[in-house]
Amino acid sequence: MMDTQAPPFELTRRAALVAALAAGTGYVFWPDHTRPRAPRGRLELTYWEKWTGSERLALQKLVDRFNQSQDRLWVRLLSISDITSKAMVAIGGGDPPDLIGLFSYSVPVYAEARAILPLDSFAHLGPIDLDRYAPGIADLLTHEGRQWAGVNTCYTLGLYFNRAIFRNAGLDPDRPPRTTDELLELADQLTIRDASGRITQLGFSPNLPTWWPFIWPMLFDAPIYDPAHNRCTFDSPGCIAAYEWVQACADRLGPAATRAFAQEFVRSMHGPGDPFISGRAAMIVQGPWMANFIGQFNPALDFSAAPVPVAPSLPEPHLPRGMLEADVIMIPRGCPHPEAAYEFLRFMQQQHVQEALCSMHCKPSPFREVSARFKAGHPNRSIDVFDAIAKSPRVSILPQTSVWERFADESTSAFDAIWDGADVAATLTELANRLQRELDRALEMRRRRNAHRRDS
Amino acid sequence: MLPRSAQRRDQLAGLVWISPWLIGFVAFLAVPAAMSVYYSLTDYALLEPPVWIGLDNYRAIAHDPLFFLSLRNTLIYAFGTVFFGTIVSLSLAVLLDQPLPGRNLVRAIVFLPTLVPIVAVSLGWMWIYNPNTGLINVTLRALGVSNPPNWLGLPALAMPSLIFMSLWMVGSAVVIYGAALRDVPAQLREAAAIDGAGPISRFMHVTLPMISPAVMFNTIMSTIWSLQVFALPYIMTRGGPSDATLVYSMYVFRSAFEYGKMGYASALAWLQLLFTLALTIGLLALARRFVYYRAA
Repeated sequence: MMDTQAPPFELTRRAALVAALAAGTGYVFWPDHTRPRAPRGRLELTYWEKWTGSERLALQKLVDRFNQSQDRLWVRLLSISDITSKAMVAIGGGDPPDLIGLFSYSVPVYAEARAILPLDSFAHLGPIDLDRYAPGIADLLTHEGRQWAGVNTCYTLGLYFNRAIFRNAGLDPDRPPRTTDELLELADQLTIRDASGRITQLGFSPNLPTWWPFIWPMLFDAPIYDPAHNRCTFDSPGCIAAYEWVQACADRLGPAATRAFAQEFVRSMHGPGDPFISGRAAMIVQGPWMANFIGQFNPALDFSAAPVPVAPSLPEPHLPRGMLEADVIMIPRGCPHPEAAYEFLRFMQQQHVQEALCSMHCKPSPFREVSARFKAGHPNRSIDVFDAIAKSPRVSILPQTSVWERFADESTSAFDAIWDGADVAATLTELANRLQRELDRALEMRRRRNAHRRDS
Repeated sequence: MLPRSAQRRDQLAGLVWISPWLIGFVAFLAVPAAMSVYYSLTDYALLEPPVWIGLDNYRAIAHDPLFFLSLRNTLIYAFGTVFFGTIVSLSLAVLLDQPLPGRNLVRAIVFLPTLVPIVAVSLGWMWIYNPNTGLINVTLRALGVSNPPNWLGLPALAMPSLIFMSLWMVGSAVVIYGAALRDVPAQLREAAAIDGAGPISRFMHVTLPMISPAVMFNTIMSTIWSLQVFALPYIMTRGGPSDATLVYSMYVFRSAFEYGKMGYASALAWLQLLFTLALTIGLLALARRFVYYRAA
């Protein structure tokens, strides 16, 4: 029998078209309540920054201060995850924001590609005095003699140590290790294992975390890159000595046991389960921000920080060594309002503004001279240590090369191999050869690109 | 037959209705794919306009140890997930084809992991693999293993661990095998049984040939997916330790968005497409010999 009843609802073409149009119109005109609107009459600048959480909120306070300080511009701060790749795509696609907050190692890549605007081209709007910055910071902001970025906090790495664990082990909590030999001795002494050999408390291990596998040569006064000759020097005797010390740590503490211990914390760093914050690691290499997280998650922790120990032949307590890096703010090529962006960038370079941001981020000041108020009210109890490293003539900065990301990735793999017992000299030689090929290729590409630029 | 003008009107209407897909296909697939062929022949750093360098990227790939390493790792992953995935999913489907109590519930449970976002799966398995507090090692310790391994932390174990966890997501394949098994005529199995064939013989000589199109479909699809694997190792190991889990797609991503070598990454991506195509053609050639298609 045929079903003669009409279906209860029939979707006609017209109904579908009307529904689609209605949905599209609704989407276009639906008010976006989540986005703060710029006051009428002000020019809106878009600023991409990598920070989230409390670090973003700290920056937002200063953006608000700028927005309230005048009535022409309005800066809208956006937190962008994976900002490096998104910045590349935005600039390459010709639709960048007005300002981008990246890392100081990004400066050579962006500067060589002319993807950012040199700040000296805005000098007619008021110059930025490079001499005010600490020497290392000035180096990070410049490339091939021109300034390309403003600073937006800086950091150095220090050795955090748990004073309570030191005391309980009968050690002087005011006498952290100064040399790598002392560090290794203490690392072993303060490591506690259970009956099965599993580490329950770690004294110290260079693989916790492996975020900076390239810093160890700095502590042996061995550069990993020679900028004058564009040479990778990972295979130098100093670097080999540094990674032999790393391997000695692995051998002494047990490569498998330390790796298992580190693996336990892969996703819990900088949280309540962080090995140092939770008291499971007696010493750790970290940046000044660690004090922020300790204050947040375990304010009762009795800790202090010291310069990362150096090779026994190098200790100069008044000239600490370590790595200096900075977060930077840049004006991308093709941004809609470069001059207005420069005005905000200059605002951020004022000493009181940077000091306020650095203070909220628990970091040292990027300037040569530090105001008394900055140190007096700083929330990081070890700020003097980080500040002294930042201003030390012995401080190291990362290689200023456009292939730095490759350096970082490949040195991580080499570190892993060395930790597992690979021959140090052979591993570093292979690493240096691989990176040298990348450096040579990048240089060759750059020559071709420059020739192409001249021709066109 | 409709007059020509009416035919043309119908064609136009059809084109208008599929135009959203057509526009999407051209704008987001055809044009980018064509452009990536061009980019693969250039030095393109994303931040600057591309500069023509001919086949230099392909020549550089031929001397790039990370290319060969990531290709090797990807092939190991693909072989492991396809081979073991087929065994596990087929076994589960056969099991769930039996008239057992609660099999619908079990079927749902087997399918459930495929609905979980890959990031959540990865983070969950990172906890399971945690060398000290993870479920596996805690269980092994309870069973008397004093020093259980660091699954994701040892170069030799990291890739097998990723392959093992990928078996957790065989739900889709189980559903396809289940449907194919229900389609096998019962009288064929009964006839084989009457002829004296045991359960294994019946499965190998009756059931397996009858479901061979489903096996081939799943094999081809899982091969393609596993050759493109990215999220699992990216979240769980970041390619480590010692590049033991650096897979091809991750290397393409790093080259493009970390090292800023979009031209080089485009060349890598085209080679990836060619490998995938070659493998798929190889599998289809095998299908002609081993797959049995019933006449309609």
